[in-house]
Amino acid sequence: MAALANLGNAFVAICTPGSLLTMAFGVFVGIIFGSIPGLSASMAVALFLPLTFGMTPSMGMNTLVAVYIGGISGGLISAILLNMPGTASSIATCFDGHPMAQRGEAIKALGLGIVFSFLGSVFSFIILTFGAPLLADIALKFTPAENFGICFFALTMVAILSSGNMLKGLLASMLGLMFCLVGMAPIDGTPRFTFGSTQLMAGFDTLPTLIGIFAISEILITAEEISTGKVNIIQIKKAKGFGFSWQEFVQQLPNFFRSSLIGTGIGILPGIGGSTSGMLAYVTAKNMSKHPEEFGKGCPDGVVATESANNATIGGAMIPLLVLGIPGDGVTAMMLGGFLIHGLSAGPLLFVKNADVVYGIFAACMVCSLMMLIIEFGGIRIFVQLLKIPKHILMPLILVLCCVGAYATNNRIFDVQSIILFGVVGYLFHKFRIPTTPFVLSFLIGEMMETYLRRGLMQYKSFGAFFERPIFDAFFFIAVVILVWSSLKEFKAFKKKRAEAGH
Amino acid sequence: MFLRKYGNIIVGVFFMLLSAALITLALQLPKSAVMDIGPDFMPLVIGCVTLGIAALLTFLNVKNFKLHLEELESAEPEECDYRRVAYSFVVTVVYVLILQPVGFIISTIVYLPLQMMILAPVGKRNPVILVVISVIFTLVVFALFRYGFKIVLPAGIFTINL
Repeated sequence: MAALANLGNAFVAICTPGSLLTMAFGVFVGIIFGSIPGLSASMAVALFLPLTFGMTPSMGMNTLVAVYIGGISGGLISAILLNMPGTASSIATCFDGHPMAQRGEAIKALGLGIVFSFLGSVFSFIILTFGAPLLADIALKFTPAENFGICFFALTMVAILSSGNMLKGLLASMLGLMFCLVGMAPIDGTPRFTFGSTQLMAGFDTLPTLIGIFAISEILITAEEISTGKVNIIQIKKAKGFGFSWQEFVQQLPNFFRSSLIGTGIGILPGIGGSTSGMLAYVTAKNMSKHPEEFGKGCPDGVVATESANNATIGGAMIPLLVLGIPGDGVTAMMLGGFLIHGLSAGPLLFVKNADVVYGIFAACMVCSLMMLIIEFGGIRIFVQLLKIPKHILMPLILVLCCVGAYATNNRIFDVQSIILFGVVGYLFHKFRIPTTPFVLSFLIGEMMETYLRRGLMQYKSFGAFFERPIFDAFFFIAVVILVWSSLKEFKAFKKKRAEAGH
Repeated sequence: MFLRKYGNIIVGVFFMLLSAALITLALQLPKSAVMDIGPDFMPLVIGCVTLGIAALLTFLNVKNFKLHLEELESAEPEECDYRRVAYSFVVTVVYVLILQPVGFIISTIVYLPLQMMILAPVGKRNPVILVVISVIFTLVVFALFRYGFKIVLPAGIFTINL
């Protein structure tokens, strides 16, 4: 009950015109950053950090939360309309969101994405408000061994993602892992595959890789198809409100709860992050679905799963940040910096000493989600106008933004050059009909997996000792079962195809 | 058609070569002095797994090549405009390479109309409009980053202290 009383007080405290306006502005800027491929949520938070210096601690943190929420959610706009994820979290939104837009259902796809983003974040904030200290205890039980188990589990999702084309999917995933190897090895910092180049020492950054694989290759593909007449301006079916019916909404609820749980769960574990949770939720939804063959061809379930999960990750990621002072990803690390600047130390004492700030953040999270819903709802019909810009004008402009975004991440021109490399990889994947998703998923997980494996081995001395940890066992065996099961299914399908052809 | 016909085999062979190179290079990495699993472990695992999968892919496709050809006969032919792809690629590479030495403003103002001309379908090439869009866009982006986000884009030869 104390939590409710505190939360009530916090709601009253933040409902001043000044604070509401600042948060609305933060959400708005976050959405813009999130929606432009090349600019990310973490960049938006980094830019806002200095602006909060002059504010009160509570107000400053609320503004950062606003930017974070807007940034994660904004990614869905470009994912659906342009097939380019605005942020890493919305990669899986492209798979079904863009096909829906191509069918003319852009408004429905956006509507579903926005509403379930909102619900996903509210779901996780409720968990955050009432269960934070308890869940943080559980998160502490996760040692490198368990984290390795989760990474391995996530990696085997590749097998499901590439069903029907499994061998090539696995090869794509291996290539993703290979690109992770470039640079300094985790733990001991041995340079690997740098070929004497100092630029390669730091390895390939996530953002330029994603931009290259999705945006640059999309531009090359447009160039290929523009004269064949395939690249027509997409028609937009008119729709009322969010574009979907109450019945459709109710049908999505089980999917929503499952995905939000996955999102919050992944968020709580430091170091895994929103991009992974979105994809895991997507694959789970595909697996549990009665019509898995529709996924990837414009199935609304895919959009709902990803968007619920990636926004639910926000609330999850705040749990270790607030309760333990452990940031889960780049954005929360910057928010930790924000705490320090305002003289607050995140950790168990924060709840005792600065309960007003903590519950202020909880309240701000919910208010900002609502603002996001309102702002994006108001914007749906403006966003879809983007589809009316001829592609030969839009694509080059996006490419320039991508280059600028890649440059701004680390202020090095090498990142801009590497987007071309990954653009070529993405284009070749398209030509040889290799799925790109396994590549991206592996690239995101690869380095974490190696780090946790080697850290775990340092702690437990041998891999066998990993199996004494029950959580690791569970993840590891589910992963193995998934691998074996998908391979068998693939093999059967192959045999059937051959039998039909009469060989 | 060549790609459709031999695509999978090319992919298989390419990945076999790549994994062989990876394994060779990984073997030359220093062993860790303190623990069994050093920096060379992951590259070796990835290399070996890749080699296995790539070999399987190549084998299956060579073995079922006839089946694949029969399938292709019923598929409709694809038309691709490789000239536009090649031009776009060259222009983009040049743009990225000159971005630092020449600076953001000049290189972008030159690049954008060129790229738009390459992509534009015949009959929609109106250089004046494209140039106007490009100039405005470039200046807006530069100003936004320079003053809004406080991120200084490469200035190049056109050093300005605004």
